[in-house]
This record gives sequence, structure tokens and C-alpha cells, in this order.
Amino acid sequence: MTDATTPVSTMEFHPQPRSGAAKPWAFPAPERSQLPNGLTLLTSHRPGQQVVAVEVNLVAPLEAEPEGLDGVATIMSRALSEGTDKHTAEEFAAELERCGATLDAHADHPGVRVSLEVPASRLPRALGLLADALRAPAFPDGEVERLVGNRLDEIPHELANPARRAAMALSKELFPATSRMSRPRQGTEETVARIDAAAVRAFYDTHIRPATGTVVIVGDFTGVDLDAALADTLGAWTGSTAEPQKPSPVVADDTGRVVIVDRPGAVQTQLLIGRIGADRHDRVWPAQVLGTYCLGGTLTSRLDRVLREEKGYTYGVRAFGQVLRSSAPSSPEGATGAAMLAISGSVDTASTGPALQDLWTVLRTLAAEGLTDAERDVAVQNLVGVAPLKYETAAAVAGTLADQVEQQLPDDYQAQLYVRLAETGTVEATAAVVNAFPVDRLVTVLVGDAAQIAEPVKALGIGEVTVVSG
Amino acid sequence: MPMGHTATEEAGSGGLTATEHRLANGLRVVLSEDHLTPVAAVCLWYDVGSRHEVKGRTGLAHLFEHLMFQGSAQVKGNGHFELVQGAGGSLNGTTSFERTNYFETMPAHELELALWLEADRMGSLLAALDEESLENQRDVVKNERRQRYDNVPYGTAFEKLTAMAYPDGHPYHHTPIGSMADLDAASLEDARSFFRTYYAPNNAVLSIVGDIDPEQTLAWVEKYFGSIPSHDGKQPPRDGSLPETIGEQLRTVVAEEVPSRALMAAYRLPHDGTREADAADLALTILGGGESSRLYNRLVRRDRSAVAAGFGLLRLAGAPSLGWLDVKASGGVEVPAIEAAVDEELARFAEEGPTPEEMERAQAQLEREWLDRLATVSGRADELCRFAVLFGDPQLALTAVQRVLEISPLEVQAVAKARLRPDNRAALVYEPTAQTDAAGTEEEEAAK
Repeated sequence: MTDATTPVSTMEFHPQPRSGAAKPWAFPAPERSQLPNGLTLLTSHRPGQQVVAVEVNLVAPLEAEPEGLDGVATIMSRALSEGTDKHTAEEFAAELERCGATLDAHADHPGVRVSLEVPASRLPRALGLLADALRAPAFPDGEVERLVGNRLDEIPHELANPARRAAMALSKELFPATSRMSRPRQGTEETVARIDAAAVRAFYDTHIRPATGTVVIVGDFTGVDLDAALADTLGAWTGSTAEPQKPSPVVADDTGRVVIVDRPGAVQTQLLIGRIGADRHDRVWPAQVLGTYCLGGTLTSRLDRVLREEKGYTYGVRAFGQVLRSSAPSSPEGATGAAMLAISGSVDTASTGPALQDLWTVLRTLAAEGLTDAERDVAVQNLVGVAPLKYETAAAVAGTLADQVEQQLPDDYQAQLYVRLAETGTVEATAAVVNAFPVDRLVTVLVGDAAQIAEPVKALGIGEVTVVSG
Repeated sequence: MPMGHTATEEAGSGGLTATEHRLANGLRVVLSEDHLTPVAAVCLWYDVGSRHEVKGRTGLAHLFEHLMFQGSAQVKGNGHFELVQGAGGSLNGTTSFERTNYFETMPAHELELALWLEADRMGSLLAALDEESLENQRDVVKNERRQRYDNVPYGTAFEKLTAMAYPDGHPYHHTPIGSMADLDAASLEDARSFFRTYYAPNNAVLSIVGDIDPEQTLAWVEKYFGSIPSHDGKQPPRDGSLPETIGEQLRTVVAEEVPSRALMAAYRLPHDGTREADAADLALTILGGGESSRLYNRLVRRDRSAVAAGFGLLRLAGAPSLGWLDVKASGGVEVPAIEAAVDEELARFAEEGPTPEEMERAQAQLEREWLDRLATVSGRADELCRFAVLFGDPQLALTAVQRVLEISPLEVQAVAKARLRPDNRAALVYEPTAQTDAAGTEEEEAAK
């Protein structure tokens, strides 16, 4: 400790250190196998990961929901854990928690995803519960009715959330009204109200079976007899081997235009600016990832360098590409997928016009001048370098493996992506991001106070402006 | 320099070990080796949070945290972010009531860079701090406040609850985000003096966890941090002690444009670091954690009066911890019906105590939550800092789960009986206004 009376010394400065020698790391290669009932299995032993992650992919896409019953896949997913042939809903929840487990199920465009996390010591018991939920859900009338009521109660909360509201408005605007993608994933008040136990049971019977399912299990399996545990649990699930239905191609209208969802008095405007573009099967994907990172991946990317760090208009604006649904070119239906390419964030109400003006200037400058080699290098170093951090936990690895399965990608896709990112040059990355975010083909959704923002936004000339009620 | 504990594994630590060291300038250092993945986490806790702020300057600790990313003597502008991300690392900082933390997770071979960066700003931030970055980050933080609290339904509920549970003038009366007026009032001199007062090696704990060579790591720490002068300018925070219970029912009714009625409530609970806090954690888990909890079963499953119902625990060391109840009403259900059911369940639990099955479930849930936190090097680094800063002993992080598993049903019942009572409750009731009444008015019935 320095004596308070001694004169204050200053620190000794040293030059910035150089990197040490990088240690090898590779995205884990899973073992692929199949249970006798046709269920596909991907496993990856990750030493030290005491919480095991299990991801189940079920080919039950939202597109398969019957006409007028949007939300039935969601209610079915939730109802899987509301009672089985062995337990009531309350007993099932209690048994899961007794394992220290969490179980979540949700329905999205590609299908239903069930996620289990549990300490390795209790994995066999939790797998038993998971298998019961998949194999023999009871779908009791009363529980389904309760889930429907609960879902109806959730809808106003989602509509009130600016980010959720913006996402719904963008989907409605981008996709044709006939496309399931134009409508809320979890249904509307009108469609959810029609769902009953019979509809849930029918959806389950038509789409949920082991032969089209995949289970990904990642964690430290030391001391766990995984084969025996699986045989006794998921191995006991039986079902027919019907082929899943073919997905229809994803199409969207990205004519440049603006929709304002009116929120009188809102202190901020939620921005969501998007269109659809290439998915992971397209060769451009690595370049698109790289270019999108340079545009808006972090607070030192182009957008935040201006909108946050220079102007202070926002806490942060991000550009991203998120696969909506995907199929392999080699599949019977061919490549039908797409990713949502978007820029999102929120800015204070008064800065809405200036912030959008700056955002478009960033895009125009990018198109005119391209990325710099330095930007590209930093982006590659980050995207490739963070992999060992990003995939430290079993849940992260399992999530990516399950995404790969869902998008019909090979098991070594992520490992190869890192190789391809490192090979991608500045010119390719520029072309990809400029192509992904063309200034005249972006649909802009603004959730904010129309009385204050409509005029400044019209003056920008970024497309026709429509105001809808909040 | 190396002193104290050797890396001997303690029972219930899940195989984790940590060593402790102290530099001559007072910087405490905790190291924990784990070679499973080639990554290393650096975590630096400064013993300063919003509880150290004074009236009229709420939000200063957090605003200051933003300024720590605006450059220092050898790091230009956004260089801290650029260099860490360019090295394949991830980073951030957060501010709470009791501390401010900064952290980098790096590929193991880039560890030295993170240490150099943290040392540079600990020793020389004021060389780079200027009016321009203050003005910019003030706007960023005000937008953070709008985005996370002001422009979200129920977004200011937590702020309102803490203001009720901790009386005016108490160091925890306001939350770290601060008020817009105080953020506007913060000056460059405020920021400078905040740094001079609280940012010193002897007011910080540095933990480094992961694929590290302890000897080399310690040599780097000494090289980069060793010459930063310590100082004793820090004033202790204002006294946070309070009576164990509020002593009366507090109630605020808020009429706002929210999607449904809601009942929220804050309860004063035992200080973090005590057996009673662990017992309270179990009680809240049994009552309101997950989908087999008493309140979920009662309100969501049986009464169908709520769309969501749960309890959370904010552990605090320098003031009573806060139990936070959050119930969102189903359409058409009135708050008094929910309130009566909650009171009934809490009273019954205090009377009967937990069943053996409930204890088993709650302990299993809390154990998994701990395993999740310890699953990453950054999670472990943060917990080691937490126990070192708040309780003086990082080793306590490694046995925390064991302590939760040792709590008896009687202890859980005792804390419920003593604390989860109506006269220890600050209730916040939301009543939705019509959509057209946009501005939102606040009506206080019987506050404070």
C-alpha cells in the first residue's frame, strides 16, 4: 500500500503485447447414428460440461398448420410437457425439476424444437421424461384449454413490445398474404381461439414421429451409459415412417417502402429494416456474414461508429442475417430457403429522421467505396477467433448442430464455415453485403410516434410511407 | 508476492480450484486453471456501484463505466473494443448497486493483451477522458435508459419497487441506470473525481480463469498493473442497514398504457452471504421458480388468473436482499383476487414449511443454475470476483452450491415466516389505461 502522504507516482507504461502462439481448436465433429425406430442421433462428448444439452428437431413446420389454425404447432409444443401416459401436467413439471432440468419447446418455420438441459448425473432420468413427452403426450382437454387461454393472454404483451411489434409488421409487409411467413408464428387471437385438444392431437399424429426426428446430445458423458439410457427412453418411441411434406419456396416483396406503426407518445422509435436473401446453402453466405459484421455486427462496425459512438442516437444498432427456413439443393424440393437480412435498433424519437438519414448514408458509402482490407481482417479475426469462446458450453454446440440438421446442412458445416470465412476477401465481402442491403430494396418498419416522425421520414425519400395503428 | 491458498480442491467445488495473490499496490488477484478449452477469462471488479452515488448524481457509476471504453493513455478512442474483438475476444462491462465489473474472454494466446488493456485504463483513463466522449456517452446512456426501461411496458417497475423497499436517502433507493435529470447534470469534473476516488488497484479484484500458465500470468499482472499507484481516497458507502422488515404494507397503483393488470411486490430479505439468504433463495424457488412452484400451480394452472407468475431474488450484501414477485394478470382478472391468492399461499407456506419433494426440486434447480454459471470461464471469473469483493474470500465461490444443498427445511420455513409477510411487502399494482391515453399518469395511493 502506498502511504497517502507520499507524492503520487505514475504508472510505468509498456508497449502493446504481441499475441502468443494460437492453440488448435476445432468445432466438434458429432457422431451420427440411428436408433432402430428411425430416430437420428448426433452426439458429442465435451469434457467438463456437466450440464448436458439435448436438442430435438421435429419436422413439423408452421406451413403444415391447417388453414385457420395458426398457432396449433405452438400449442402442441407446449402441451408436450403438460401430462403423459405416466404423469399429470403438475407431476411432469415436478419430475423435471426434481432432475434439475429445464425443458422448452417451441414451433418455428422449419419445425418444432424441444430443448432439454440437465446435469449429467440425472441425464437418464430426464431422457425418460423427454421420451414420454414425445412418445405419449396426453394432451388433456383441460390443459390444452388452459394453454390456449394463456396464449391469448400473451398476445397483448407481445403487441405492446416495440421489437416484437416491429418484427410482426415486417413479416406482414414482406411476405405475400398467402404465405405462412406473413403471419405471426404463434398465431393471432382469432386463430388461437379455435384451437382445441382434438386439433392438437391431429397435428401431433400427422407430423410427430421418430423416423423424421433428430436428437442432438452434447455434454460430458463420463460415467453415463448413453446407449443404454437412449435404448430405454427415446428408443421406445414408435411411429410410422411417412415422408415429411415438401416446403414451398420463400418469396418476398422488398420494394423500398416505410411502414410506421403508430405509438403516440413513444420516447423512442424502434427500427427494423429488412428483406430476404441468401441462406447457408448459398456460396455467398460466408462473405455475407463477413460483410454484415462489418456493417453492423458490433459497436465498432460502420453503423454504430456513426449512430452510437459519433451521434449518440442509439444504445446500439445491429445488422444480421437469420435463416428463416432452409433446404438443401440436393433435396427433393431443391433449395427453397431464405434468410431474413435486417438492421434493427432503437433511436430517440427526435433523432429518428437524422438517424435514418445517416443509416442510408452509411449504406450508400459502403456501396460506393466498399469495405477496407483492415475492416475485413478485423472481422475475420473476430468471427473465427471467438469460436472457442462461443462454443464453450454444451448448449451452444448442441444449438448449432441442431440448426445444421434443421437447415439440411452437413455435420461439418460450421467447421468448414470457419475455413471459408478465413479465405474470403475484401472484394467478396463488399459485394455480398452491398447485395444484401441495397438502398432501394429495403422495407423499413418504424414503431414510434407517427405525429413526430412521419414528416421527417417522408422527407428522406426512402420509399412510400404508410401509417398503421399500433 | 504469491501468498495464501494453494490450489487444493475443496469438497463440493466440482473439481475447481483457485489461488489468491496480492500486489504491493493492493490489487488482489485470483487465478483458476482449466485447460479443457483454449480460452481465458479476465474479470475485474471495482468495489464501486450505484450505492456509492450521491443525491443529484444517480447513474454516474454506470455512465462512468461507459467512459472506461472511450480510450486511455495508450489506447485510442474505441481501441479497447477494437483490439479485443480483433483478437477474437469478447468483452463488456456492467454496473450494479454494489460493484462495477469489466470482463474480456480471450483465446488463451491473447490473454496478455486483455491484461495490458485493463491496466492501461486503470492507470491512465484521465489522460484520454474528454468532454466530447462524455457528451456522446451521456446520449448513449440516455438511449439505453429509454430502450430498456422507459419505452417498454412495465419497464420502470423495478425502479419503482426498489424506491419503495429502500427509503428515500438510502443508498439502494435508486437503481444503477439513474434519472434523466441526473444524467444531464453529470459533468466532466464529476467523472474525473469519480475515477480518482474509486478506480484504484486497492479497490479492485482481478480474476483470471481458464487455459493459463499461473506463473506467467502472475508475471504479466505484475508487469502491467504493478506500478499503478494505490490511493486511499475512497469513502465507504453510506450505511445500507435497515430494519429486517419494512414494518408496514406499502402500495403504489400505477395507471399506465400496459397490456394487462399486474401485481408486483418487493420483500426485504436477508443479506447475501448468510445461510438465511440461501434459505430465502430456496423459499422463493419453491414458491415462485419454474413451472412446479406453488404460485405457478395456483395462479397459472388452477385459478387461471395469471399469464405468468414468479419470484426472483436480488442478492445484496450491503443492504437487505430483495425478493421480487411478478404476476401478470389474465384478461379480466382483478388484482385483489390475485393478491388474496398470493397471500394465502405465502401464509400457508410459512405455516407448513416445504415438503421434502419441494426441497429436493428447489435444490436441484439451484444446483443446475450454479453449474450453468460455472460452465464458462467468464462465469467462474465473475463469481470468484464476487466472493472476493463482497465477502473477502474467493474460495467461497467454489463451495456456494454445497452451502445451498446444506440448508434444512426448517431454515426455509423460518425465513418465509419472518420475511414473506404482508407487513414486509411493497406492492406495485398496474392498472392499464385506454390506448388513447398515451401519456400515462402515475397515481400514488399510500407510498412511503
